[in-house]
Amino acid sequence: MTAVKPILLAEDNPRDAELALAAMEAEHISDKVVLCHDGAEVLDYLYCRGQFKSRLKGNPAVVFLDLKMPKVNGLEVLRTIKTDVNLRPIPVVMLTSSREERDLAESYALGANAYVVKPVEFHKFLSAVKELGTFWGVINEPPPENCRSTH
Amino acid sequence: MESASNHHSQAPSLATEEPVPSSSVHASSSSLYRAPIAWFYRLTIEQRVLAGFSLVFVGILIVSVVSYSHMKILLANRGLDGRSQELIQLLNNIDVAMSEAEDTHRRYLVTGEASYLEAYKQVVKQKPTFNESLNDLIRESPEHQQRAGLLDRMMDRQLNAESKAIAKFQEGGFRAVKKMAFEGAGKRELGVIHKIIGEMDLHERQAVSRRVVESSAGTKTTIVLLGIGALLQLVLLAWVYYLIRHDITERRRVAGELQRRGELLESANKELEAFSYSVSHDLRAPLRHIDGYAALLRKAVEQSLNDKAARYLQTISDSAKQMGQLIDDLLVFSRMGRQEMLHTTVNLDQLIKNILSDLRLDLQGREISWTIAALPEVQGDPAMLRQVFMNLIANAVKFTSTRPIATIEIGVEHPSSTEIVLFVRDNGVGFDMQYAPKLFGVFQRLHRVDEFEGTGIGLANVRRIIHRHGGRTWAEGVPDKGATFYVLLPTRRRDS
Repeated sequence: MTAVKPILLAEDNPRDAELALAAMEAEHISDKVVLCHDGAEVLDYLYCRGQFKSRLKGNPAVVFLDLKMPKVNGLEVLRTIKTDVNLRPIPVVMLTSSREERDLAESYALGANAYVVKPVEFHKFLSAVKELGTFWGVINEPPPENCRSTH
Repeated sequence: MESASNHHSQAPSLATEEPVPSSSVHASSSSLYRAPIAWFYRLTIEQRVLAGFSLVFVGILIVSVVSYSHMKILLANRGLDGRSQELIQLLNNIDVAMSEAEDTHRRYLVTGEASYLEAYKQVVKQKPTFNESLNDLIRESPEHQQRAGLLDRMMDRQLNAESKAIAKFQEGGFRAVKKMAFEGAGKRELGVIHKIIGEMDLHERQAVSRRVVESSAGTKTTIVLLGIGALLQLVLLAWVYYLIRHDITERRRVAGELQRRGELLESANKELEAFSYSVSHDLRAPLRHIDGYAALLRKAVEQSLNDKAARYLQTISDSAKQMGQLIDDLLVFSRMGRQEMLHTTVNLDQLIKNILSDLRLDLQGREISWTIAALPEVQGDPAMLRQVFMNLIANAVKFTSTRPIATIEIGVEHPSSTEIVLFVRDNGVGFDMQYAPKLFGVFQRLHRVDEFEGTGIGLANVRRIIHRHGGRTWAEGVPDKGATFYVLLPTRRRDS
């Protein structure tokens, strides 16, 4: 297992971000989390540009993607990831407040790997984030880095 | 169209309701005058157009009948005129022939020339033909028949007398018939014959001129009648045209108005959708934060937290959760109104079975006696109908929770060919019938939150779904005895 693969968390709301981080802290995986504040930052990270120009190469273990974000929204980010052969293997989990059917349908149509509605109750939110972080960041075996060379 | 005709039908009835300060005679006469108009305004446009066309048809029929009968009279008169001409001609021929008989027999008597006798015999030979023709022409006129009989006799007598005279001449020569030769043997009869023929001729000529007057008068009347008929039909057709045109204009206007409203409604719906989408997204986030930070705060100050402070924090959390539930319920409710509806056959037996199996966790530790009748198949949206019965059954379970043994009955009432009434009956806490109208309202609750939980949206959803299916909902209840919730569904599909 490659222990250094980070978890990319896209969350424009600092409170939601803080709560998510607090949840992951309890599982001691918060140090693996890279926080992006909008869709553009996520794309910058994935394509190693802008403020992430000098980051270590390699895809994240998973992307937790909020739907409603400034600049580039979650669905647009998802579409970019899933249409890029190098990025397509990255698991993407939609983590959002919306339970709207069209959001669900569109996310899965674009190739989301999971769709999680953020529960209002904190203890449910806590356990959801914990489970997600543990599953995708620890239990799940991420796609091998060389799979992009199949292109 | 319907609304337009209703509008018309109301106008006269409103007018009759106005207090008219006049004598009763006047009032009754005006109501007599108004009755047919009111009756007319009550007709639909189709009936009015039909009435117009029927009147035109009747007009055409009347004009046709009148023209036909007049034509018939004209033709009959023409036939009669022909006969009259023939008769007049014949009478003239008879007159001439009889005069000739008189003339030739006298010449023969005087001269004894055989050619005169031959000419006379020619007339005698013709006589039966004359008679036959005459009888044929006057078959239908008794007056003429009488005269013809006399004429016939007179002709016979004249010819007899003359024949006798000729016979006498052949026996005794000129001397024997000298007197007759000068006077004529049938002179007297010939005079009568002239007179009779003159009478018959006059009579026939009078009949002819009478018919001419009659025909021309009839023709004039018919022309006037045809003119009036054509004019009336034109007026009627113009009226029908006006009716149809007016109706078409009205329909176009209504269609335009409908389209405009449809567009407005659509844009309003879109706005509503955007609104509820934003509610779904943005309203939940702060709630999550309230609950989340309350939890973090509890964790941060765990050591120094006294009972009171712990309860405050708990209340903050509970309120946030409750509001989250309310938002969720409202979103479901709003979605229920907008969602596309399916129309398939729904097996209610299976539906209820599934619901009960889904509810089994809630039913643990409860003693409930279920009575579930065999339920029919209905037409509708399976997911929506599932929500209806889920709500009704969950309610029944919830409001019987205070009973040691709950009884819940699901059944059918008065199934008919057009509709079906389903009910869910329980022996729970029931309700006072004076609050029945409030039951199906959004966020209406008849019980305090600490008695029975819930946001008060379930029955509002039930009603909305059933309305979209073209049905109705109502409830009956007795406080502390139980309640029955009814759902009426049309058995035929109706587009919502």
